[in-house]
Amino acid sequence: MNNKSSAQDSYYVNDALYDRLMILHEQWQLDGPVHSTALVNMADRQACESLIFAEARLADDLRLEEWLDCYSDECIYWIPSSYPASDPREEITLEFHDRRRLEDRVARIRTGVAYSMVPAIRTRHVLGNVEYWQGEDDEVCARASFIIDALFDGKHRILSGWVGYSLVKKADVWKVAVKQINLIDADCLQENNTFFL
Amino acid sequence: MSRFFLKEQKKIFGETWVYLAHASEIAEPNSFVARKMGLRSVIVTRDKESKVHVLLNRCTHRGATVCREKKGADTPFFTCPYHGWTFKNTGQCAAVPHADAYGEDFDKSHFDLKKVPYVSEYRGFIFATLNVEKGKKGINEHLKSSANRIDEWIEHNGGNHKAIRISGVQQFTVHANWKCLYDNAGDGYHPEFSHQSLLQMTQQRYGAGMDLDYFSGGIDSTPMYSQNLGNGHTFLDQRPCMYEASAFDRQRPQPGRESLVEQLTAEVGEQKAREYFEMSTGAGMNLNIFPNLLFIGNQLQVITPLSVGLSDMSWYSTVIDNVPAAVNTLRLRTQEDFTAFGEPDDTASFEACFKGMQEREIDWIDMSRHLHTNVDKTDENGVLTSLISSDIHMRSYFAEWKKLMQSNDESSLG
Ligand code: FES
Ligand SMILES: [Fe+2]
Repeated sequence: MNNKSSAQDSYYVNDALYDRLMILHEQWQLDGPVHSTALVNMADRQACESLIFAEARLADDLRLEEWLDCYSDECIYWIPSSYPASDPREEITLEFHDRRRLEDRVARIRTGVAYSMVPAIRTRHVLGNVEYWQGEDDEVCARASFIIDALFDGKHRILSGWVGYSLVKKADVWKVAVKQINLIDADCLQENNTFFL
Repeated sequence: MSRFFLKEQKKIFGETWVYLAHASEIAEPNSFVARKMGLRSVIVTRDKESKVHVLLNRCTHRGATVCREKKGADTPFFTCPYHGWTFKNTGQCAAVPHADAYGEDFDKSHFDLKKVPYVSEYRGFIFATLNVEKGKKGINEHLKSSANRIDEWIEHNGGNHKAIRISGVQQFTVHANWKCLYDNAGDGYHPEFSHQSLLQMTQQRYGAGMDLDYFSGGIDSTPMYSQNLGNGHTFLDQRPCMYEASAFDRQRPQPGRESLVEQLTAEVGEQKAREYFEMSTGAGMNLNIFPNLLFIGNQLQVITPLSVGLSDMSWYSTVIDNVPAAVNTLRLRTQEDFTAFGEPDDTASFEACFKGMQEREIDWIDMSRHLHTNVDKTDENGVLTSLISSDIHMRSYFAEWKKLMQSNDESSLG
């Protein structure tokens, strides 16, 4: 984690990217036509499914370095504070991370003194209703409903919502370029969510 | 519910000035936000003449919640969903359906929504109180020296309070009494320990001289200080260290930092851009307006008790009108930093303190740092200055808490 190899600057987070995020957010919410006209071929679909399932499982298992590997160098991990989401240039989010800050988040937990995660909060993601469609260029878009059971201090807590993905193929490997996590209670009181959603 | 907790609702969250909303949240006539004044549900409205009212959100008919939205515009009237009683945004009862059944003498003016009678604004910050004496004196009298500090915070954020706007909120539940959160607001002793995860991660990834690292080591020999500003308000000043050189250079890199720096420099020139960068970085002022408004960085943290062991900790973010859009993007990405990297570790300890305080066999906690070291100095305005690690914050606000809890002041709602 302490090598500064990947994306130590953040030129890619610019107005063009924010504009693109807002378009994606709209598309993730559209009905059938978006994807029924642009089906993803079976091989890509399977690869994408493996990716998003692995991403969830690695977060649950706290295999955070491998979890980071699921993301592209120019990625966005985004948890809006409103429902539906608003433009992150205009409203605070719960979390909005580029690659660098995502690595910061992992490095914080890895210090072993991130007391919000001591002892670690155990989570289990369940993804369902997953849909895929062909996005721009070679991008695959996906959306899913999720439930996360989080266990802390012997108590269970349920988080739920829907998630939107933009998935891209880099050097033959599929990566998460954007993950937007829409909690159904995004605009309500949140508990300790310092694990990865 | 605990007797003390209920008394706090009356004496603290009723009988002193309580922060409710920022003027920018109800900027337009006939807009409103729903808020809590302690446990009371209130609607903060701006009427068509732009006057602000604080109405108890409880129907005078059978008690139903009249307004069930969190905020709204173009709302001159509120109609209670249950039997359709309708109230103006001034609280006045405007219509009672089929009123003839109440007899000839029925006077609907007896059924106005109850109001919090004293509402006062200091440079955009809206406060209210039920206390007659305090209400008559007004908010300035109550804020005392902390008003100057609010002015400095506004100055950091461009100087024009009318241009400062709330841009969303991050809301968190804390499983602790509200005072466990408040204790921390002026605690200069904890960062070196509680924020280890942030400090170690930052050191590893970005090297020395970054955010908050001036809290490591002999903090009491730094020029930072803490103050009792009177009436329970306190202040912890990080600026002497944080702004000794550029605070922006100390800030952990925000998403998009490089592109925003480039864009702003091209747009307004290097010198002006530099000003915007510093303005986008936290003010370095931990200013605590008792009992529920905390200025932290460029955010407003508002604490609301929900029950003895449960509190609402809401972080309202701020942006500035009339600056290039990139400045506000930079501000927002900066304001998302501490709530992800710093506050969660503190929160874990607030909750741990609350657990510990419920051990029946031990009554006391300690708040005596620099009580016996003769380091405090008092100036001509009665402002007491101590070293940064002092417990002056806790001692000051608890003195005010005790005074209020023991007072027999007249409350306008009884
Ligand atoms: S309770 Fe509001 S109209 Fe009856
Ligand atoms: Fe802290």
